[in-house]
Amino acid sequence: MRRCLSQLNHVLAILTPAINLLSSFSFSSIIDIGMMSIEKDIVSRAIKGDGEAFAQLYERYFDGIYRYVYVRLGDQSEAEDLTQEVFVKALEAIGHYKQRNLPFAPWLFRIAHNQVIDYFRKQGKMEKVPLEDDITLVSSSNPALAAERELEIEELINNVEKLSPAQREVISLRFGAELSVAEAAKVLGKNEGTVKALQYNGVMALKRMLLTDK
Amino acid sequence: MTGKTEDIFNNCLQRILKGESIEDCLKTYPEQAPELEPLLKTSAALAQRSSAIQPDPGFKVRVHSQLQAMLYDKQKEIEERGAKIHFWYKGWVLAMTGVLGLLLIGVGTAGASTSALPDGTLYPLKLATEQVRLTLAFSDVDKAKLHIQCAEHRAGEMVEMARQGKSDKVLMLTEQVDNHLDKVHVMEEMPVVEETPVPREKGPKALAPIPAPAPSVGVEAFGEGKEAGELEKTLSQSRTRNLNALRNALDKAPERLKPILQQAIENIEQDYNKTISIVGSGSNQ
Repeated sequence: MRRCLSQLNHVLAILTPAINLLSSFSFSSIIDIGMMSIEKDIVSRAIKGDGEAFAQLYERYFDGIYRYVYVRLGDQSEAEDLTQEVFVKALEAIGHYKQRNLPFAPWLFRIAHNQVIDYFRKQGKMEKVPLEDDITLVSSSNPALAAERELEIEELINNVEKLSPAQREVISLRFGAELSVAEAAKVLGKNEGTVKALQYNGVMALKRMLLTDK
Repeated sequence: MTGKTEDIFNNCLQRILKGESIEDCLKTYPEQAPELEPLLKTSAALAQRSSAIQPDPGFKVRVHSQLQAMLYDKQKEIEERGAKIHFWYKGWVLAMTGVLGLLLIGVGTAGASTSALPDGTLYPLKLATEQVRLTLAFSDVDKAKLHIQCAEHRAGEMVEMARQGKSDKVLMLTEQVDNHLDKVHVMEEMPVVEETPVPREKGPKALAPIPAPAPSVGVEAFGEGKEAGELEKTLSQSRTRNLNALRNALDKAPERLKPILQQAIENIEQDYNKTISIVGSGSNQ
């Protein structure tokens, strides 16, 4: 056990400067590559049942999943339930996940995407849900500022709901989940060109809506 | 509209989301600039509004606890099957079971992560989690967001330590707030993102002047008068320095970061005021 710990310390001592170097390096693409490699390692450990690794992935992706689901559903309480289900499903399924088939972020967001589809199917309703009157999205000590932000978010959700289903998907993944075009394409099973076109047309439509609202 | 325009738009969007200004992107594509500019401004508004959607921290902790319990059950199942388990995984599950136990015996699930204080046994775990999140942050903006969150946590802990009369911890936490915010101030050097065409009658709010500390009631006496007076002075200086720097950063930060910075300014200012009020009541005794 002692020998094992000492080896682990040795490995950490070697890795720490490399991680620090990667974090401070100014070329973001190189950092991205480094981070992808770190994440791959974390995912590998999570697949083998390492709970700490799964906790790290949870911290990394929780807010993005919640935002994506919230933008799709427009309802805080439903978004919370669905986000919870996404992580429960991910924990149940991660043992069978194969990194070579699909990177982790698209895999996780595909679970979220399927959950959203199931939700609408079960509810038997259109993907348009009225916003609650008493939603609390942004906690703030300044009620006026919080109210202003909530109005802005409400306007965003209302406008996104008016897009076509495919545009809505892409906009939610790009701006809510903050995924790249390549990742969004993998979630949706579409090619990158299609996603770029949906993104362009979606933003164009939103621009028109915002101008009309003005 | 052609495939090329969509590619150019996506390229610019990607750069803006990473903190570059709209003008800089448009300079790269002068021919497409008139078409691109309004779309990029709309995109910046979308990104800003989306980033303001934040899950309730209590909800996040509840889901986390549920997953820990599931992991524990899963682990037990594996153990029963006689599978080999890594020793550090075992340790982590035990630690998390301890966390769950504490949650169940009274701290309350929602408040667990925020309730860990510098003199508590769970505090190193809290700091370690923050470090992991900082290491995993993919972009400068994500890193800045996390540093702001950490600074807010430290400021909240500062209030509680002041309530308990622990001057050494208050000073330590002041330094940590400074350290986190120093890293955020790097954002000042980032290019400015254009204001969006979204209708905003109210516009960015002017921040209220720092109020005089209110007298606190029902808190523990805070050290000796002189010591508390010095601490109060240090805290006031730190408050002014940090709030000024944050307000400067707010003007220059990318759009995505602005709502978070605005919120942080309010929270940190409140926490400083509370701490100074508590320390001040000690120095007057």
